[in-house]
Amino acid sequence: MNSRTAFKTLRIILSVVVLSAVAVPCLLAQEVPPPAAPASGAAAPPGTAPAEAAATPAPPPKIDSGDTAWVLISTALVLAMTAPGLALFYGGMVREKNALGTIMQSFIILCVISLQWVLWGYSLAFGPDHGHIIGGLEWFGLTDVKSDAANPDYAATIPHQAYMIFQMMFAVITPALITGAFAERMKFSSFLVFILLWATFIYDPLAHWVWAKGGWLGMYGGLGALDFAGGTVVHISSGVAGLACAFVLRRRLGYGKESMAPHNLPMTVLGASMLWFGWFGFNAGSAVSAGALATSAFVVTNTATAAAALAWMVAEWLYRGKPTVLGAASGAVAGLVAITPASGFVGPVSAIWIGIGAGVLCYLAVVWKTKLGYDDSLDAFGIHGIGGTWGALATGLFASKAINSAGADGLFFGNPGQLGLQAVAVLTSWVFVFVGTYVILKVVDWTMGLRVTVEEERIGLDLSQHEERAYSRG
Amino acid sequence: MTIFALVLRIGRTMKTPFAVVLLITCVAVISPAFGQEAPAPATAPATLKIDTGDTAWVLTSSALVLAMTMPGLALFYGGLVRNKNVLATIMHSLVILCLISLTWILWGYSLAFGPDKAGIIGGLEWLGLNGVGGEPHPTYGPTIPHQVYMLFQLMFAAITPALITGAFAERMKFSALLLFAVLWGTFIYCPLAHWIWGGGWLGKLGALDFAGGAVVHTSSGVSALVCALVLGKRQGYGTAALVPHNLPMTLLGTGLLWFGWFGFNAGSALGANALAASAFLATNTAAAAGALSWMTAEWMQRGKPTALGVASGAVAGLATVTPAAGFVGPMAALVIGLAAGVLCYAAVVWKGRLGYDDSLDVVGIHGVGGILGMLATGLFASIGAKGLFSGNPAQLGIQAITVLVTVVFAFAGTFIILKVINAIVGLRVDAEGEQRGLDLSQHEERAYAKD
Repeated sequence: MNSRTAFKTLRIILSVVVLSAVAVPCLLAQEVPPPAAPASGAAAPPGTAPAEAAATPAPPPKIDSGDTAWVLISTALVLAMTAPGLALFYGGMVREKNALGTIMQSFIILCVISLQWVLWGYSLAFGPDHGHIIGGLEWFGLTDVKSDAANPDYAATIPHQAYMIFQMMFAVITPALITGAFAERMKFSSFLVFILLWATFIYDPLAHWVWAKGGWLGMYGGLGALDFAGGTVVHISSGVAGLACAFVLRRRLGYGKESMAPHNLPMTVLGASMLWFGWFGFNAGSAVSAGALATSAFVVTNTATAAAALAWMVAEWLYRGKPTVLGAASGAVAGLVAITPASGFVGPVSAIWIGIGAGVLCYLAVVWKTKLGYDDSLDAFGIHGIGGTWGALATGLFASKAINSAGADGLFFGNPGQLGLQAVAVLTSWVFVFVGTYVILKVVDWTMGLRVTVEEERIGLDLSQHEERAYSRG
Repeated sequence: MTIFALVLRIGRTMKTPFAVVLLITCVAVISPAFGQEAPAPATAPATLKIDTGDTAWVLTSSALVLAMTMPGLALFYGGLVRNKNVLATIMHSLVILCLISLTWILWGYSLAFGPDKAGIIGGLEWLGLNGVGGEPHPTYGPTIPHQVYMLFQLMFAAITPALITGAFAERMKFSALLLFAVLWGTFIYCPLAHWIWGGGWLGKLGALDFAGGAVVHTSSGVSALVCALVLGKRQGYGTAALVPHNLPMTLLGTGLLWFGWFGFNAGSALGANALAASAFLATNTAAAAGALSWMTAEWMQRGKPTALGVASGAVAGLATVTPAAGFVGPMAALVIGLAAGVLCYAAVVWKGRLGYDDSLDVVGIHGVGGILGMLATGLFASIGAKGLFSGNPAQLGIQAITVLVTVVFAFAGTFIILKVINAIVGLRVDAEGEQRGLDLSQHEERAYAKD
């Protein structure tokens, strides 16, 4: 029965991929870049300030090798956040019998979304706007997304495909973050379907609203909510989706009775370090150029991370009596999450405050979780949901136009309205993601079931879902 | 004396670690930079223009050097200790990275690189990064934002005290470690960095230290020796087997160190140019040569080549070529690497006879390697500077003076700092805590749980 559903799932996924693969070659002819010679002409933006261009022949945006190098490196850095970073961070925290199952979830998401994004995800999220709600399918299969010309709407000095693939890594890590909430109990086949649906129906619209040209929430023709690198789009969305997952999938067998201690904490710390390392690409890369803005984002990212790790450690020291390594690592991740939306808009001293707030708030969320009784197994909600919410609101407090003139001032710099806008963005993301994720989970549950059987859960996902063991002795 | 007594009192009554955090918070609050963090708009001369390629490279290098500390060094050391101390050992690197990340932007960078005061120390003008913004600084990387240079240097300031932790592994109290990181990072690292790189007196004398042979490796190696002497040996040292609990973890750490070291050395060119390429090549060559020569020396002396030996040799080669990386060609780097492998191996073997417990061989690898590298720079320098073999024997003398000053200063300073900490919170865990292991006694957690 189970293998039959799995087979069915596989068939669905395969057929989608094959269908798309058939469609793409038809479009390929248009994709092949024209010979590089007329690049300057080809790069001329179709819709940017035609009046100005007419007055003085404005220099067409030119691809800058330094900016391109930085965004390409940042892309690789963000990939390293998902696998191995997140995979090891989560993999070390589960029990030995679920180590591979947990690592596999991040790894396979990287593969699935890499295809989803080039086929339709990028087009839905960043393609030509339709009613401020969603991108069109005009860029399906990367039609018109060029490797030899920039898209000045998003990044004027790097190839459009560089921007696309940088964004791909964000689309990849977001669902991977959710997996911490349902660790050790989700069926692999249902997981695949869930991820594909979630990325398409939750991530892509949300990214469109906040970041795409014309999206209704963002800075680019929308309300003006600030989200530099993904506080709402990545962290609130994954955290709140994690909360929905923890509710719908319910607790693990033996939760609260048996010890569920992490099987390998050095692995978790290794993962946290890779996350920190990769996050420089995530935040500083979001400047989509290598200059003062990327630098400032890099500095505040490192600062907030350090402050949050120390704050969590101290909070735990006071509350529990000992500072733990898991606490410091979790605090670092909480700081990274919280600074994400603010990273391009705040200065280093503000970053210390954002980090301290993140460390303390996320620690409290994780402590209270046990009292509330839901099993967010690896604290996807406690760290990403709470940290992301704090970060998005803190952006409304600490943002300063002196740091980024394209941004806005926050409450502490004389613009209380920005805090309101941030709150709207937070609330919208919470409601949309929670309801949307709930519906998707219910649909998947009715059609194929979400959880593994009791017996399968007991022997562990490694054996029941993948029939392999992480460690052999001898 | 009253100040010292006051510090003692505060330390004893209010739990020192919190005092550290409190101090950081206080400086953050009073920092003049809050609210006006923006750099003053372009007052710099028009010749200073940000180059995106150079900026991209130094930003990348900063991330690479971060990866040397976490996870690189943490895993390198973590694998070498016993099962019961692995988390505490990793935690040393992690918490030092966090502490220095804050102290550096609050006061460290200003002390080390701020406006020079009599060649001895930087001023406090740049406290809280006041005035350190997006405009390039004419001497600290004219084609990259000043903050990039600050950030790149931050990663150096973080890894240096983290290197020392190998000397007192498996027995240092966690609260003492926190104090040590802040005090050492402020009173030893900042002045040294200022003297050699920040416009101080050794730099004016002409000392050559491309990426930290004296500032990073000699200073951490010598301080490690002091730590090993002051803290004493681990329980059972010399009688029980104190074997590494996970060598693949150490090898993974080595790989990450090698990877990150390209940022350390080639990034020190502060641009993506021919100098960076030359430093990159010298780094890789010396690392390989160091690994092979250590392996060979061990094979001849002990009868078998070990994986740990190759890993240690690679790190020795990397540490040794660090001061020379931007001044020598690939053949000189090859010779430096070969010498590093043999000499550092000899130092590690002799350690056993001298009897101090430098647990993870910081002295043998970074101390000996750093000194050797500084002197070798005086011999082989040929790119952008001249050493003995290029007809400038005086350079070797200057290098020797620099080494001597670094050794004396780091030795005496670290000794004082350790004694102060010992008076406030004590340095070592108690015998029972050491027996149970630091993971449980200091952090109350276990690295590996069995199903």
